[in-house]
Amino acid sequence: MAVNLEVNLGGLIMKNPVTCASGTFASGHEYADFVDVARLGAVTTKGVSLNGWTGNPTPRIAETPSGMLNSIGLQNPGVQTLMERDVPWLKEQNATVIVNVSGHSLTEYVQVVEALETCDGVDAYEINISCPNVDSGGLTFGTDPEAVNAVVSECRKRTKRPLIVKLTPNVTDITVIAKTAEAAGADALSLINTLLGMAIDPYKRTTILARKVGGLSGPAVKPVALRLVWETHNAVSIPLLGMGGITNGLDAVEFMLAGATAVAVGTANFMNPHATIDVIEGITSYCEEQGVQDVNELIGALK
Amino acid sequence: MERLGDSKMTCVLERKAQIKTNKHLTDHLYVMELIVEDIPSLVLPGQFVHVQIPGMEGHILRRPFSVYHTKQSENKLTILYQIVGFGTQKMTTLGAGDTVDVMGPIGHGWTIPATCQSALLVGGGVGAAPLYMHAQELYKADVSVDVVLGAQTEAALVCKDRYEALLGQSVPCSTDDGTYGYHGFCTDLVSKSLDKRSYDYVACCGPEPMIKAVCAITLDRGIPTFVSLEKRMACGIGACLSCVVETTNGLKRSCVDGPVFNASEVIW
Ligand SMILES: Cc1cc2nc3c(=O)[nH]c(=O)nc-3n(C[C@H](O)[C@H](O)[C@H](O)COP(=O)(O)OP(=O)(O)OC[C@H]3O[C@@H](n4cnc5c(N)ncnc54)[C@H](O)[C@@H]3O)c2cc1C
Ligand SMILES: Cc1cc2nc3c(=O)[nH]c(=O)nc-3n(C[C@H](O)[C@H](O)[C@H](O)COP(=O)(O)O)c2cc1C
Ligand code: FES
Repeated sequence: MAVNLEVNLGGLIMKNPVTCASGTFASGHEYADFVDVARLGAVTTKGVSLNGWTGNPTPRIAETPSGMLNSIGLQNPGVQTLMERDVPWLKEQNATVIVNVSGHSLTEYVQVVEALETCDGVDAYEINISCPNVDSGGLTFGTDPEAVNAVVSECRKRTKRPLIVKLTPNVTDITVIAKTAEAAGADALSLINTLLGMAIDPYKRTTILARKVGGLSGPAVKPVALRLVWETHNAVSIPLLGMGGITNGLDAVEFMLAGATAVAVGTANFMNPHATIDVIEGITSYCEEQGVQDVNELIGALK
Repeated sequence: MERLGDSKMTCVLERKAQIKTNKHLTDHLYVMELIVEDIPSLVLPGQFVHVQIPGMEGHILRRPFSVYHTKQSENKLTILYQIVGFGTQKMTTLGAGDTVDVMGPIGHGWTIPATCQSALLVGGGVGAAPLYMHAQELYKADVSVDVVLGAQTEAALVCKDRYEALLGQSVPCSTDDGTYGYHGFCTDLVSKSLDKRSYDYVACCGPEPMIKAVCAITLDRGIPTFVSLEKRMACGIGACLSCVVETTNGLKRSCVDGPVFNASEVIW
């Protein structure tokens, strides 16, 4: 039985529901020894700003129980390099491309989208209003409904491409932000970005991360992410890109049952460099085993 | 602009490795021999492997280890490791026949400068291991090689015999506790060596304070110096930007642009 794996994420047709989580896969080139990027539903690139950022001081990561903290701080070379170097490479490989967009200000988000509108190879945007690792922009946008409305509607005005808005779990009620983004014109929502956390070295009496706090990801966050996907699915009618701790096909199926149309694999890439492919294969075997002919049957199919 | 793909040197492989031996050397040091296909014959001096240790429960990240030496005819790759935390402690419980998942070879290792005639290699603690294959290749290339090693105790000078066998000469050593050789830091031995003869190349690996101290001496004398740096790593293949080092040429990823850097480029 051939299982239909194709899904439609707010207008973005993906050959299967699996993409990589932004920031864990660079632009795919680094993983080329392990993954044929054309096999992924899409490649989501590392967050990009207008002129590039240098990120935070090191140490930038700490291992924590079943997960890790990161405070990379959106280090990136700027949108021009992405358009001239990374997107053409991805297109040569026949990959579907989601560009993750970041900004320190409303204007910067808009300028990045405007720049990317001139680039043919971009198939969709993921607007990151949820990065916990930068002092201005990022998280501060994602927790304030007015700012969410402004960023999303300004970006919406500038593109007809599928617009995915990435939400933070670091809020009291995610459905408020989700509904705001939907009303402002988002085609899909992605969640979750990392949970703000901290790690301490008791002997040195210092934090392990130079920035002191960072974003928690990996298997440790999966139950939280599932709950937030489920709550959001019940609150909005646009499709969801679910992520947070996915390491195998069954994890991905759980996200789809909770309401995700597609899923992203992040931290798992660090454990297993072909995790994305393993997740695609795992979803396929689950469907075969369970007699599911179309993966779309799984979306929100929680009993 | 640089095109992606142009910079790619070699392929990184992922293989299951079988532990052949895992030998206790001192209370803190172990040497592990791995039997693994393909990787041993591809490793260049100074490169490392990114290892997933089995039974790590909630500890999800791989651990990076430099390759100490290889024996291609036996598909053998050896690492020297020091117990510092959960993962390295866990490694001591593994034995012959156990398997670990290895990614490698990774990184830009040592390169012999074109005009190099006389090299000084400085290894502190387990930092002696990543220099050994470099000593081998320098020796083969007819470069005159001197080695200086430092460790906490005599027992911890676990690479000394191997270096002495390779070079056919005794290797000056320092110990923190004075149980062998010079009582003090190996930086003093470096100064002494530099006073005795001239070197046109220094390679150094060890704890960061030691590397800094050595570079202060060698760069001051204008000697080209290369260092191998240890940064916390997640992906190990250049994607996550966890491991960056600040250099005069911008931020570089120590996993793929290093771990060996030109010391004059590093902003400490
Ligand atoms: C390129 C490279 C080569 C290395 N080669 C060797 C070697 O040949 N022999 C050897 O004994 N050690 C080597 N190290 C250091 C070794 O990786 C760490 O000692 C090891 O990861 C510690 O793991 P742990 O679980 O015991 O410690 P924990 O402190 O429990 O580890 C927690 C986290 O911190 C990271 N970490 C802790 N210490 C270091 C460190 N010094 N450098 C990088 N990450 C660290 C771990 O990888 C892990 O992600 C090397 C490191 C790098 C980057
Ligand atoms: C090292 C690292 C870098 C990240 N960088 C970004 C980023 O640039 N933009 C973004 O939207 N999310 C970023 N994230 C968040 C992930 O895309 C994802 O939302 C989160 O890690 C949860 O998924 P996971 O548990 O599968 O990793 C990053 C996460 C990690 C671990
Ligand atoms: S460890 Fe990921 S970029 Fe170096």
